Amino acid sequence: MSEPAARDPEETRPPDPPPHPGGYPPTPPPHPGWYPAAGMPTPPVPPPTERRQRLHPLSPALHGAKSLVVVIAALSWSTLSRVGVGWFAVLAVVLAIGATVLAVVSWYNTGYHVVDRELRVHEGLLWRRIRAIPLERLQAVEVVRPLLAQLTGLAELRLEVVGGGKTEAPLAYLSVADAAALRQRLLALAGPQPEAAALAPGTPQVWPEATPPGEPLHVVRNTDLLLSQLLTPQTFMIPFGVVFVATQFLSGDSWSFVAVASTLTAMAGVLLQPIRRVLDNWNFQLARDVDTLRTRNGLLETRAQTVPLHRVQAVGATWPLLWRAKGWLRLRLEVAGYSTGEIDVRNRPDQLLPVGQQPVAEAILAEVLPGVRLDDLPLTTPPPRARWLNPLSQPVLGAGLHERVFAVRSGLLTRQIVVVPYARIQSVRVVQGPVQRRLGLATVHADTAGGAGAAASDRAVAEAWALAAELTARAHQARRANRPQ
Amino acid sequence: MTGDDQAGLPPAAPPPTGPPPGPLEPWPETVRWQSVSTDLIWVELLRLAALIVIVLAGLAVGWAISGQAVFGVALTGVLLLTALRTVTIARAVRAWGYAEREDDLLVRHGLLVRRLSIVPYSRMQFVDVSAGPLERAFNLATVQLHTAAAATDARVPGLRPAEASRLRDRLTALGRDRAEGL
Repeated sequence: MSEPAARDPEETRPPDPPPHPGGYPPTPPPHPGWYPAAGMPTPPVPPPTERRQRLHPLSPALHGAKSLVVVIAALSWSTLSRVGVGWFAVLAVVLAIGATVLAVVSWYNTGYHVVDRELRVHEGLLWRRIRAIPLERLQAVEVVRPLLAQLTGLAELRLEVVGGGKTEAPLAYLSVADAAALRQRLLALAGPQPEAAALAPGTPQVWPEATPPGEPLHVVRNTDLLLSQLLTPQTFMIPFGVVFVATQFLSGDSWSFVAVASTLTAMAGVLLQPIRRVLDNWNFQLARDVDTLRTRNGLLETRAQTVPLHRVQAVGATWPLLWRAKGWLRLRLEVAGYSTGEIDVRNRPDQLLPVGQQPVAEAILAEVLPGVRLDDLPLTTPPPRARWLNPLSQPVLGAGLHERVFAVRSGLLTRQIVVVPYARIQSVRVVQGPVQRRLGLATVHADTAGGAGAAASDRAVAEAWALAAELTARAHQARRANRPQ
Repeated sequence: MTGDDQAGLPPAAPPPTGPPPGPLEPWPETVRWQSVSTDLIWVELLRLAALIVIVLAGLAVGWAISGQAVFGVALTGVLLLTALRTVTIARAVRAWGYAEREDDLLVRHGLLVRRLSIVPYSRMQFVDVSAGPLERAFNLATVQLHTAAAATDARVPGLRPAEASRLRDRLTALGRDRAEGL
């Protein structure tokens, strides 16, 4: 259904975009000696047409090191048992060196520069590709620093653009100062009022600092984070998994070393998710800087994400079953650009609050969507006959029209509330399955550009039509109200 | 064709608050549904036939080689389902409908699971007009409206090329007037 690649606006562009109607001086033709010397400080106030810059010269080395991990994973346990440790190491190193050589070639041919309100990334040796990323469409900027990058003082800059099936233009790697400066600049250019936001780069940026810039909103206590991840189903499953493997291993020689090792690796992928969450959300800090939200988190890999507030598509609150005793919940932010089908949840760094009490969540929500309170949403349950479809969860289901947002509630065990501002609704759908038709029920979906949108399930048909009409009308009004800005 | 007098209809921006509960026609007084060409039935039938031939051939070969009765059962099942689908295709095609309101496009389809999409013109990112070989043989085309949300489901198949290009032009013109995007 979703074909992210097909709707990528940058893909369909001609390789060399025509000059902007604004009429800036055209880019001079590139030639090899034209790049600034690597590691040279970037000019603080660049001219309208600035020179193409290369990524940091250490990037290929980092890519090579990263590919070593991938190579080892791809070769897998069975190769190890077949060829022995020595050959395995040789194979891995040869492949990694090959990858590094490719990375050097790609680094040599990669350059970026900001032209007018576009970021242009040039890459490729045989297939030259120039991506022009219009900054008006920038949804979020993220600075990611994996462990190796932290050791070498580098950072990766990731931009999220609508329509990109995957993260567009990951600039890997830049020096930390360059990354921070470029982020600041891109955000200033991407802002709704460029002239107002352009003041921001004047303030000296010291990075990495202990806290994200701006007014701090919340810091998640690491003990809470640890405890919250212990209270997940995976943690309770670990003993069973260990017992299972142990009994299989001890019950006979039917299982070889390879089988056990592979099973353990596979299980680790699932069961160690809480640990990954702890590592990812370590030292989680949230701050508000004028009209952007900034988060900073991570132990081994630090991420600093910046989301302009007007780019928030939806906010979801989740109350996992095991957290109820503590009264904890999790808040997440949906931003357009992260494709819904992205398998690696880690690459969707839209956490707003990994764990926290209700008052904290309310305070954060008030910053993101002023006037919206989780405990004060006008939610109504579907009619009692919806029990035929949701025998247990009918009283939990809910949907309601708040003054500014459409809110839906679902989930018997893991309760969830999704809040979508009317202005962010892309389309409204009414779906009625065969059983629903018999019962006179229908489901209303409000689709958003990021995340799964909100679905009010099993409403009475009349109510569903009224809801769809009201959502369409309110979305229209909200957009109209936003337009004069 | 009728697009212009559609636009002249009473504005649908404040829709009636208490619409009558109809399974497929939410606001009959403000919405004039247009159906798609019945030639789409033939396109769908031929598509189904092509698929079924491949599946049946696969199953028959499997049956001939292995001699397992499972393949025979599967073969019968597929044939039964095909018969059922053949009967319902005509109704399914008649269930497709679209309507152009002042601010949004409505598309409804589906028999078993009925779907209605309301897509504001202002949210349009781009419009696709496509025609596969089968559709071209019957002089038909498909128009699809894309928004920034992947879940948006606004595809109108079985349009005459003239109507398809009219719809495309109208959608792009309206989209340009009201562009809002995200």
